Amino acid sequence: MSQSQQGLERLLRALAGHSELIAEAYFTGVVYKDNQNQRALNQLKQLKVLVNHNADGYRIAGHLTQFLDSALSSDRVRRLDTDLADWIDTLKLQISLYQDAEVENRLGDCDNYFAETERLVFDLSDTLEENTRYLSMLVNSRFANVRTLAEKQKQNTFYISRLEKLVNAITALQPESLLEMVEDQPLIYDLLDHQLIRKLPIYQQRLQDILDKLKVFLFELRQIEARAQLVQGFAFFLQQNQNYQPQDWSERDSIPEHWNQIKPLALFAYADPLDHALEEDLIEIAQKIRIDTEAMLAKQKQRSLNAVSLSPQNKTTLDLPLYRKQLRVYFDRVLKNEGQSISAVAFQQAFVDDIEPSIWLSCVLNEWLRRQQRNKRLRMELIQADVGRHFSGNKKVRDIVLQFRSADN
Amino acid sequence: MFDQLLKRLLQGEFICEVSDEAGFRYLQDPENAAQVDEFLTRLDYRLSSTQNRLAFFAAYRTIDGSARSDIRKVFYQFRIELQPVVEWLDMMMSCLNQDTALSPGDTLSFSGLLQVIEQNQALADRLQTFAKFKDFTSGDDSVKGRLEKLLTTLQKWNYLSLANRDTLIYQVTGKLDYFYQALQFIQEHEQIPVEQGETDTIQGSLF
Repeated sequence: MSQSQQGLERLLRALAGHSELIAEAYFTGVVYKDNQNQRALNQLKQLKVLVNHNADGYRIAGHLTQFLDSALSSDRVRRLDTDLADWIDTLKLQISLYQDAEVENRLGDCDNYFAETERLVFDLSDTLEENTRYLSMLVNSRFANVRTLAEKQKQNTFYISRLEKLVNAITALQPESLLEMVEDQPLIYDLLDHQLIRKLPIYQQRLQDILDKLKVFLFELRQIEARAQLVQGFAFFLQQNQNYQPQDWSERDSIPEHWNQIKPLALFAYADPLDHALEEDLIEIAQKIRIDTEAMLAKQKQRSLNAVSLSPQNKTTLDLPLYRKQLRVYFDRVLKNEGQSISAVAFQQAFVDDIEPSIWLSCVLNEWLRRQQRNKRLRMELIQADVGRHFSGNKKVRDIVLQFRSADN
Repeated sequence: MFDQLLKRLLQGEFICEVSDEAGFRYLQDPENAAQVDEFLTRLDYRLSSTQNRLAFFAAYRTIDGSARSDIRKVFYQFRIELQPVVEWLDMMMSCLNQDTALSPGDTLSFSGLLQVIEQNQALADRLQTFAKFKDFTSGDDSVKGRLEKLLTTLQKWNYLSLANRDTLIYQVTGKLDYFYQALQFIQEHEQIPVEQGETDTIQGSLF
């Protein structure tokens, strides 16, 4: 087993053996020295898993934190390496060291520098991939999920700043100059070309998409702000001016575009008989109709209907028949003279001229029957005539006497 | 797709992402939109869209006397809708406790709104004021009945679409984009003051 393999095994064993301490440092940010963990902390520090936080505390090294964030798909706001430009400078330095070693034929160093260059290229590629994808995901899924305008504005600023950093990083890469630099080193040329340069258009496209989306958001943000003001202002105005009606813009020579909408097409439940294109179809339908009887085809006699008109009709007042007027006078007299009996025939002889006595008596009887249901104090007495023939079953009345009894009786 | 879409357009409908997602996507393709427009041209109509292209609708190509008469009806309907829709939008900002007005695609939950309004007397009173508008008069005097009437009328006017019948989730349609456009037009051309004066701000800060 080589020395480096032994070193890796020792590292992995230490990570596994002290996983609780590492987890504590990851989740709480710091882990403090005590009598029991002092040895373990020193070992982890030597292995560059932990670094000093302060005099008594340790924190996880930056690279391991990044790895854990990435491996756990942590929702922590990921740190976009602002020193990507420095990173690229380091890459250039490693490449030049490799070139020097190659010129001086130091093969061992060549391998080491190549491995270091390879790691840097992969790291750089991973970082760009992760950051562009993560920002794209944030912009697509989270932007709209905030409630207030201030939050939306903050988010927009945050995304724009992250985008700027990524754009700067990619700009700093200068692919042509990098490839030109390693033209004579095919191994490094292929590495850079395959792992970094060829992926750049993907990242650039992703950034362009994010930028387009942010532009739309920015536009919408301005609109949202203006709309909220418009709605609130209009609502306030309408509360103050309850009878407000907008001007009739449909009467203007030039009608505003948004009101130019078609009237929905009307559907008719019958065919147009004047449409000759439908002639044959209509004949076909007509031929299918069964004629059961001649009566169905017979022309129905037009029924006369009362004319209905919207114009107000002339009102005519109908006069009461004379006998009803005289009856009313007679009954009024009875009701006014409480306790006094008044003969219908005597009244008729005194005030009624043109009605036969028998008809008059019949009218009085009928009226009394109608009124006595409402007024029990109205009493009637029939004055019968001498009956010529007995047991005829008829009564012959020669007079009717009405009396309006007093309430005491 | 083409025939279904044309039928809907000829029925005077707004085609948006909420009311007809597939149809809306279809019309977003310039080639498809050109085909639809070509067909409409034969009827002397054309394909039109709202200012932010959030909804498509059919418009008259030539505005003659008959078209003008139809447009007048559209405008009169807008006059009817103006006050209640503005009031609804303003009230929703209070209900949802947000400083942004509703936008096409936003969702409203009947139960969520009911809960907020029932716990806030000012909002309940505000809901009651909708009864002054003819189309919002409800036979049911409860908050639930009034809210139901409010949302169903807005659905009838095509500002809302019932996204989930079981949970009563409504979604704001693209027609709202047309409403904002018309509102902004009126505000600009009739010089409606939409900024509440300084006195209101001062009064507000006193409480």
